[in-house]
Amino acid sequence: MGLRKSTAALVACGAAAALAIAGCSSSSSPSTGSTGSSSSSAPATLTVWRMGASVPAQVTWMNTVVSQFHQQFPQYKNTKVNVVWVPWGNRTTDWNTALTSGKNAPDITELGNTDTPTEASLGGLANISSFVNAWSAKSGLVPGMLANDTQNGSVYAVPWFGGVRGVWYRTDQFKKAGIASPPATWAELVTDAQKLMKAYPGTYGIDAITNDTNAFASFVWGAGGEIATQSGGQWTADLTSAADEAAIKYYVSLYKTYHLSPSKYIGQTELGVTGATSGGANADFALGKLDLYIDGPWATGNMPPNPVDKANWASFPIPSQNGPDPAPVFAGGSDLAVFKTTKNPQAAWDLISVMDNVSNSTSFATGQSFFFPPYTTATGTSYPASNQLMAGFAKAAVNSKIAPLNAKNWATADNGQYNIIPTMLKALMNGADFQSTVAKANQQLQQVLNTGSQS
Amino acid sequence: MVKTSPADGRPGTLTPPAGPRRPVSARPSKQSVAIWIRRHKLAPYLLLIPSLVLIGGLVIWPTIQIGVYSFQNVGLPQVVGAEPTQWVGFSNYSQILHDSEFWLSLRLSVYSAAVMIPVTLVLGTLVGLLLSKLGPKMRTFVSSVVTLAWATPPVTGAILFIWLADPGDGVIDWFLSKLPHWLGGGAHWSSFSWTNSAFPAYTLIIALVVWTSFPFIAISVLAGLRTIPAELHESARVDGAGPWRIFWRVTYPVLKPLFLVLLLLSIIWDFGVFTQVYLVIGGIGNRDEFNLGVYGYSRAFTQPPAYSIGSALAFILTIILLIITVGYVRASVRQGAIQ
Repeated sequence: MGLRKSTAALVACGAAAALAIAGCSSSSSPSTGSTGSSSSSAPATLTVWRMGASVPAQVTWMNTVVSQFHQQFPQYKNTKVNVVWVPWGNRTTDWNTALTSGKNAPDITELGNTDTPTEASLGGLANISSFVNAWSAKSGLVPGMLANDTQNGSVYAVPWFGGVRGVWYRTDQFKKAGIASPPATWAELVTDAQKLMKAYPGTYGIDAITNDTNAFASFVWGAGGEIATQSGGQWTADLTSAADEAAIKYYVSLYKTYHLSPSKYIGQTELGVTGATSGGANADFALGKLDLYIDGPWATGNMPPNPVDKANWASFPIPSQNGPDPAPVFAGGSDLAVFKTTKNPQAAWDLISVMDNVSNSTSFATGQSFFFPPYTTATGTSYPASNQLMAGFAKAAVNSKIAPLNAKNWATADNGQYNIIPTMLKALMNGADFQSTVAKANQQLQQVLNTGSQS
Repeated sequence: MVKTSPADGRPGTLTPPAGPRRPVSARPSKQSVAIWIRRHKLAPYLLLIPSLVLIGGLVIWPTIQIGVYSFQNVGLPQVVGAEPTQWVGFSNYSQILHDSEFWLSLRLSVYSAAVMIPVTLVLGTLVGLLLSKLGPKMRTFVSSVVTLAWATPPVTGAILFIWLADPGDGVIDWFLSKLPHWLGGGAHWSSFSWTNSAFPAYTLIIALVVWTSFPFIAISVLAGLRTIPAELHESARVDGAGPWRIFWRVTYPVLKPLFLVLLLLSIIWDFGVFTQVYLVIGGIGNRDEFNLGVYGYSRAFTQPPAYSIGSALAFILTIILLIITVGYVRASVRQGAIQ
């Protein structure tokens, strides 16, 4: 037998295998129905991408919206609306896959409001200026929210709802631990978490997760610091300022010094590992293993189906360093946009105009999702003071900020290519040198915010 | 003595059968084609065409495309058509080589492969030897149980291991915390996280990859062992050699080509491992735990996607593997392991 031949074949096989491995491809793409085949005004299907996990109440809400859509626009009475749920962690991959392949793309997509500037500049969203300018509801939108969706005078999305983060707790636990009122300073937050851990042995005090800069921002702002500031079109990163360093030190100490947060939260988001929708700190809080949980009220939709003491859930704003006012909170929320590749921009916009009109966006926001609608008339009066879960979030929402989390390159810096602040927090919690780690992150952040890349 | 097959491996004295010749007049055109093919010795090439077409379409063409991309600036705007594609020379490669994360991920790839490969080979060989000593029933049982691990899809295996190593309720942490102190156990293991820094995460990944890949080695070694005539081992034993010596003086030399193949395959598989690493470290959120595969994925597909950088990385990975493979084959040829 000719061994020489088999060696040659082996080498060829090895090379082929290496090439096959090297040519890896994107693995996640949602299973969507196909968008309507090319048609003039009435598409067969409109595909809407929603973020997160499907919740029955939201399905009901969407069904109502679709029937209104069919009534208000009789020309679409045969158009089916197909809703696809995309986990938050997969959204950019899925948008990119849809854009590059041109297949299984949505006609309408929900986006986090920090995603909109990036996606618009990458060419993923259709310019809907003419639709929005002709829209009767436009004048009622909160101006700052619409400005976030506008680039060089063109509108790429409309605000759908707003929401802020706060600290979830259980009133019965506070009572047993002897905590009279929610903490208003950083020191009180630590003391109260310690009291809770003492009263409930085996639980974690608070979740100092590393991969949620939207929440961590409140600690920086609560110390009087800024993540980055812009002047003359140039970003200056601010992580090495005294206030920022105090915030970083405090946040890391929740794990390292006070052991209030377990090591497993290092490297996780508020919902567990990247791309997960549950199984992280959210599940621990719902199951009574975690006493204080930082997230927005929308986390209700991500809680496991068998929570403990749901009736006692309540919230308070993230405290500032020295109180008494809460820390400024990131003005989160979602937008609705017409996806660039749609063949039916008019029909897609018409559906958005129904989803996002005053009454539907209000019923969506306040119905079961605990958001704030994007209209000036509706924002203040959405929730009764008796709603204890919303009370803290409503208090926090009074003082909100967004920059630099809406910078064009923020998505690149924070959860895309670089993940700068999460990586910094993780390194510090794992014992890296403080000064050099923060300095490196600061330099990286400034470069990425300004250039969109590190090199 | 029993009949032994000739050294050249040809089955006995069989000559190619003359075969019932078809009447010449039956299909003259078809036959002349056959004669023409035989005269020019084209049959092997004709037989190769289907696989060449397949490999060309599925491997070679994408490889050429990746090569082209790696010298361009392909990103989302270029794919969508908003901005023109430009040639950028070696700038993607130099960007990668200047990125500290690349070196970190290369280091993790090399270190983990350097542990995985020998452990897999040694464990696989030992299990293969064990299997050859077992009786037929036990052998069937053990080999089918072992094959189960190999047949487990990577995603299932990874989720299984993540679940075993769960810091809250995982059985690994529970077991370690119950171990007596002098064995390294203790309360500090309870809620120990296996995934939030590189060392424990890769410990878990190595265990996972070894678990799924040693059965292939074991079954291959068993198949190889069955081709060694029993007399060789018998006479070595008669001459007074122990098992250690028999393995290194008889089994290993005979099976050397097999071990070479297994080693090369292990290098390629273990160096390019992606799925298990991606799942165990928790996706793309933990940049300090990337290996080359996950680093390339993250550069190519996270926001904003840099397909060119990803392509350049795929090429770098391929080149590394080719160097290892070619270098090893050359060394083996020189040593006379294969001709």
